[in-house]
Amino acid sequence: MLDLLPRLRRFAAGLAGNPADGDDLCQMSLERALANRSRWQEGTRLDSWMYRIMRNIWIDEGRAGTRRRQTFVDEEAGARQGGDGAQEAAVELSYVDRAMQKLPPDQREAVLLVMVEGYAYKEAAEIAGCPVGTLNSRLVRGRDALMAMLGETQ
Amino acid sequence: MTVTREELAAFADGELTGERAARVAAAVAADPALAGEVEAHRALRARLADHYAPVAAAPVPDRLAALLTRPREAEVVDFAEAKERRETRRTIPRWGWIVGPALAASLALVLLLPGSGGNGAGYADPQLAAVLDSRLVAEQVPGADTRVLLSFRAQGGEFCRVFSGEGGGGIACRDGDGWRLEALGEGSAGAATDYRMAGASDADLLARAQDMAQGPALDAEAEAEAKANGWR
Repeated sequence: MLDLLPRLRRFAAGLAGNPADGDDLCQMSLERALANRSRWQEGTRLDSWMYRIMRNIWIDEGRAGTRRRQTFVDEEAGARQGGDGAQEAAVELSYVDRAMQKLPPDQREAVLLVMVEGYAYKEAAEIAGCPVGTLNSRLVRGRDALMAMLGETQ
Repeated sequence: MTVTREELAAFADGELTGERAARVAAAVAADPALAGEVEAHRALRARLADHYAPVAAAPVPDRLAALLTRPREAEVVDFAEAKERRETRRTIPRWGWIVGPALAASLALVLLLPGSGGNGAGYADPQLAAVLDSRLVAEQVPGADTRVLLSFRAQGGEFCRVFSGEGGGGIACRDGDGWRLEALGEGSAGAATDYRMAGASDADLLARAQDMAQGPALDAEAEAEAKANGWR
């Protein structure tokens, strides 16, 4: 599982929107996985199982936390802009981050699983708990939305 | 011959095989617009992969690696470390000690009557008040919407109870006029599953309760006694 950690952190950062929140999500996922390790079936893929745990926590947290997050969005955005004169690299990063944050959760998840984590549609669908066709169409909708938002920043 | 956008994406991701792949490949070869879409799909994929690559390439923070390498017992024993972990993680319950005595009861969790936010004039409405008056943590009925998480005695001596449910959660303290609402949170969804975990807002309420309390939460016996005395 240690070998999986870098990938899990990447997925978590993508879901949560930034590496710090991603690491919190990662920690919760690891703790839940350790607590439930007897449920993992030998012979099945450990990575898919971990990703599924993580996305389930993220979905649950999202439901509970949406209102709270919305309350603080303006404050955070203001703080970032008034920050320490972020480098251009950080600005470029934030185009993608901001665009990803605007995607509905199911589309963001599909885009991350396929385009960043490199899962086949079938595996990604199993992680997301949806049919392959559904995953395919979420991916296309998410992709189109991203392209529309990022189009001018290539 | 038409190619759907889903098919085109699947083709770009190497998901299609056999006849279907050949059909889409032919369409893409014959139509520059389709070829452009495939190109754009792959370019986005490459851009996203690059964007997130640094996270996977960075060293894993110790606090995460330690979860997997440290013997489990050590987590319990080392208070200073446990404290640090609590502080680095919003969602780790900050109410460990207050729940202790109530744990046995809360294993039998959970749910109560359909609740309401009960925010009229700062006091619980009659329905919520009835729940707060009568239900013991240990006696709760699965499948209802409001559950009492625990009861405690506040620093002023009043009995207070933390409740949570779809209609809203909060802390109510019994005074001469009824159950005065001290704090209201979002509450958590009331699914009647095998196990329930306290949601983030529950954790906030419990943290608040810990601040208000003059000691640990009431255990089942003390709670029953408080109920028998009308929570006064």
